[in-house]
Amino acid sequence: MMDGSQGFGPNGTWRVGVDSGGTFTDVCMFNEASGEIAVWKVSSTPDDPSRGIAQGVEEGMRERAGGGDDPAAAIAYLGHGTTVATNALITHRGAKVGLLTTGGFRDLLEIGRQKRPDLYDLFAEKPRTLVPRALRFELPERMLRSGEVSVPLDEDAVREAARAMKAAGVEAVAICFLYAFVNPAHEQAARRIVAEEMPGAFLCASHEIAPEFREFERLSTATVNAYLGPIMHRYISRLTPRLEELGLPVAPHLTQSNGGVVRFEVAAETPVRAVLSGPSTGVVAAQAIGARAGFDDIITFDMGGTSSDVALMAGGETTQTNESVVHGYPIKAPMLDIHTVGAGGGSIASIDSGGLLKVGPESAGADPGPVCYGRGATEPTVTDANIVLQVLNPVEILDGRMKVHRNLAVEAIEKMAKTLGMQSMDVAQGIISVVTANMAKAIRVISVQRGHDPRNYALMAFGGAGPLHAVRLAQELGMSTVIVPRNPGILCAMGLLLTDLRADFSATRLTPLEAGNLDVIADTMARVEAEAAGWFETETIPADKRRITRRIDMRYDGQNYELSIPLPDGPVTEVTLAALKEGFAEAHKRMYGFDVPEERILCVTFRAEAMGLVQKAELPERAPGDTDASGAIIGSREVWYPETGSFTQTTLYARDRLAPGMRFAGPAIVEQMDTTTLIPPGVSASVDTIDNLILELPR
Amino acid sequence: MTAQATTHALDPITVEVIGAALSSIVEETGEALVRASYSTNIKERRDCSTALFDRQGRTLCQAEHIPIHLGSFLDFIPMLLRDHDEAELRPGDVFVGNDAYRGGGTHLPDIVLAEPIFVDGALVAWTVNLAHHSDFVDRAHAHIYQEGLRIPPIRLYRAGELQKDVQELILLNCQVPRERLSDLRAQMAANRVGVQRFQELCARHGVETVLASGEALLDYAERKMRAGIAALPDGSWRFEDVFDNLDFDTPIPFAVTVTVAGDELALDFEAPEQIRAPINMTRTALLATVYYIVKSVIDPTVLPNAGLARPITVRAPEGSIVNCKHPAAVNGRVQTCQRVADLILGALAQAVPERVSACTNSACSVAVFSGTRQSGPDAGSYWVYLETIGGGGGARPNADGLDGIHVHATNTSNLPVEALEGEYPLILERYELVDGSGGSGRHRGGMGLRRVYRATEDCMVHVDVSRNMSRSWGLLGGGPGGAGSYATSPGCAPFKNGYGTLCAGEWLEVVTPGGGGYGPAEERAAHPDEQPIAAE
Repeated sequence: MMDGSQGFGPNGTWRVGVDSGGTFTDVCMFNEASGEIAVWKVSSTPDDPSRGIAQGVEEGMRERAGGGDDPAAAIAYLGHGTTVATNALITHRGAKVGLLTTGGFRDLLEIGRQKRPDLYDLFAEKPRTLVPRALRFELPERMLRSGEVSVPLDEDAVREAARAMKAAGVEAVAICFLYAFVNPAHEQAARRIVAEEMPGAFLCASHEIAPEFREFERLSTATVNAYLGPIMHRYISRLTPRLEELGLPVAPHLTQSNGGVVRFEVAAETPVRAVLSGPSTGVVAAQAIGARAGFDDIITFDMGGTSSDVALMAGGETTQTNESVVHGYPIKAPMLDIHTVGAGGGSIASIDSGGLLKVGPESAGADPGPVCYGRGATEPTVTDANIVLQVLNPVEILDGRMKVHRNLAVEAIEKMAKTLGMQSMDVAQGIISVVTANMAKAIRVISVQRGHDPRNYALMAFGGAGPLHAVRLAQELGMSTVIVPRNPGILCAMGLLLTDLRADFSATRLTPLEAGNLDVIADTMARVEAEAAGWFETETIPADKRRITRRIDMRYDGQNYELSIPLPDGPVTEVTLAALKEGFAEAHKRMYGFDVPEERILCVTFRAEAMGLVQKAELPERAPGDTDASGAIIGSREVWYPETGSFTQTTLYARDRLAPGMRFAGPAIVEQMDTTTLIPPGVSASVDTIDNLILELPR
Repeated sequence: MTAQATTHALDPITVEVIGAALSSIVEETGEALVRASYSTNIKERRDCSTALFDRQGRTLCQAEHIPIHLGSFLDFIPMLLRDHDEAELRPGDVFVGNDAYRGGGTHLPDIVLAEPIFVDGALVAWTVNLAHHSDFVDRAHAHIYQEGLRIPPIRLYRAGELQKDVQELILLNCQVPRERLSDLRAQMAANRVGVQRFQELCARHGVETVLASGEALLDYAERKMRAGIAALPDGSWRFEDVFDNLDFDTPIPFAVTVTVAGDELALDFEAPEQIRAPINMTRTALLATVYYIVKSVIDPTVLPNAGLARPITVRAPEGSIVNCKHPAAVNGRVQTCQRVADLILGALAQAVPERVSACTNSACSVAVFSGTRQSGPDAGSYWVYLETIGGGGGARPNADGLDGIHVHATNTSNLPVEALEGEYPLILERYELVDGSGGSGRHRGGMGLRRVYRATEDCMVHVDVSRNMSRSWGLLGGGPGGAGSYATSPGCAPFKNGYGTLCAGEWLEVVTPGGGGYGPAEERAAHPDEQPIAAE
């Protein structure tokens, strides 16, 4: 029986995070009483992921948490991250959607912003339109910018359209009218009529999901939400009873793209806010680990087999964005500003027609995999380069679970070297340099392009391949510190135990930042805060666990892009307005190099970020011991470094033998089941009190 | 990595790394320009471009914004260096210019700001950006003196100091000076980012390595372009078409002969003498168009730098509409550019039909509205709204043409209705694809767009649509695309050559052309989601 205890359950002692990926479902369990952390892994069940999840939780709790016959009884909190929304969007396996729009704008969904998908490629395609033309219905209705009704809504036409959609087998309906963010009356009326005619259909009106200006982006958001709605509903309706059967005593939560978690019922209505549910938890984990380790300014680097996700956090705060293009579709939703680039261990290297070395975005995937797997691949990948350089174990990887064939990788790279007229080792290192440059470009997008200098940040590396490439990437960007957490491979599941409940609320109201508008500004902010307060109640978050951060997005009157300025705590007064004005001028100067004191500043969107603080997993702390790391040495091998231009004897360390306080210097390699960490010559390493590896690069 | 960079100063990897950095820099400067700007044409429609040039003014990298803008960039630095002694350049000097004959521009609204980049006291490169300022409206177009203020490359800032008198002179000649000033500030912000990032790049890799890599990137683009050309069959192919728009009653014939010999490509244009209308193309506009379309067909991944031009020879009669000379009017040159790009596609289609699309809508349809505000807080002030409207893309050998997109030399966004109606006394009543406007075929041409505006205050209008007499051609049996046209509400005073007035309450409809089809229509497979595309 699920009650409303939302993670504040009095009886449970275990907090459980479940990350359901394509291959494995990771379960991370944390005992609130003892501080013990346990991990359980089962194979995913892609046909019905809820099976694997339930099995993982059941087995994990029984095997690792002493759960016995009633394994779920001791669970105080269950958080879950899923890629179900993302996958449905990528593979175009969403619901059959119908769309209601303002008369004259049926094709807006296809036209978008009228730009072509690629500037030069005559063969590029637009992302597929999620609603076919036959299911897009124009309705007589029109609002003006003032919110005044210019053409009243034809309710009979709505009813007729709803019947037609029902007859066509439509499962979900998106409703988007012009200016619904100013006056939602027509959308509300249409929604009511459609609900009457199509009981059980998933409905999404644009003012509910993205009450902001720019009709195409709002329309796209509502459409994607409708497209994913039935999928998420089905997913949750399968998972919920399975967890109930287990006897889960608390309401489970799902992560959103903003890194926060919400209850399943809320998540089911807003699947568009879960498209980054997977990677966001890794960022949240990195944030918590960074805070514990004393790093406030961090760039996260999650590198897997086919892609890398990067994100930036300044002052311990993750960077949020309120709009992004995800898999080709503009989405207005609070998201962590995570940037993905097609560069991973499996990325394939090739020589293009101009004779330059290119790496990715094509990936060898799991099958045939890199050349060194010996499954018939001939084009070298990033992993092959690492095998040739012997940065990766040239005999076996994955703790001995897989043999590798270095000779095959060497052959493939030699062939490439001949074409380029270079030495093979230079080419192998070159593959690393090029993939590093691609990843550096992704980091520049989230740092320099947003006005942050990466040199002031520490790089936190995780994912299977992150720690292998982190130092090279840091060097490319001039960064001087790399952090490798204790369990880089399961960081996403762990993130679920480190995240607070979170929801974002906003309202758009164009208001000049002037003393005369003090009441309007205060009222609008209060309205948004009231929504947040309602959410606190729904989630039954105790008063002392509630946190609200307020911001106003502002711009000069005449611009169309806002800068988000934090609002000082306390009541909104003239002093607050002065602080906002000053904050905006500073931010504008930082971004663009100038400010214009005589220009009018407009408040555009008022935002409240509501957090319900939960008891989070405490990373176990160990007192630092001896600096001598020789006890963790498990051998040595020759590794090729560009710094020396030759194979150099390199000490190998076992991660599980490293202990807080230990120090050692590169050239060194740290091996563990889920990753390998490269520490090139000149870089020094130490282990902090929560078992992070801290790598220091020479300035 | 610095040690490595010096030892292998010019290995292909360092070059690739620096190439990626240069493209990050131009994209970042472009983003700063858009975000800091004020006019709808920049902040929402993104009618602007950014680039980096080497010391001699050769393109190192152009952001992926608007191909025709390369035309304004090509000669800007060489012209500037002809007028100004390089030895007298100082950090913080910023040059402004727009002229088609003295500043390398292609039409006057495209105002360029260029700033030299110094490292250790030496000039190493230029950061350059261009913004299309929606101004200079309600002008005549018999020659360039009627089209707006002509600005040769002159200093707007001298060693960081604003030259107020220069700025005043420019602003006095503009109809919406507040917007111009704000957009110029945004252009300054973009250059500031460009200078800073390029200097950081030099600090990281060493200035010699960066410059040598810049040189190598030009060679690289050349090699790729040559490899691509060499893969085409040798031969010579001629294609002719006509240019038509609302400025004149008889279509103008023109033609191109494309010759492939080994790894070199030559284009010989035949075109009538320049005319007293705004459709003439400067030589740089022609070059930018040629480079764009050749790159698109040969290899879209070739870096957009000066190296790609080396294997290409362009010959066009001087004083013709495709290579005009002073004082030809040029304001609407983009229409001609679009047609020239399709002309080249038509010639290449004879050599490599599997590599090209059928004819696109061949246009950059334009609607310009202007007037004096009659109400609201800004009553009495002058407003100008320019928008360009996409049309159909040409059908491809493997797929339908894209519907309602910008093609070829331009690629600007539309203005959201919810932004448009707040900025200007206009209401947008319809914005949709035009059924039946895509040429028939195994793969149909892309559909054109229909946009219907209702004026809420009196305003002046200029519509520029093309393919009003001719049609976009299909390939290998594909049918022609639909025509471009416009209409006004009954009772509205008739427009002349696309010029007219809307009174409050009257409407204007603009229909843009569709693209040509590819292959015979009988071979078309059924498309499950498709509604009939024949005219309703």
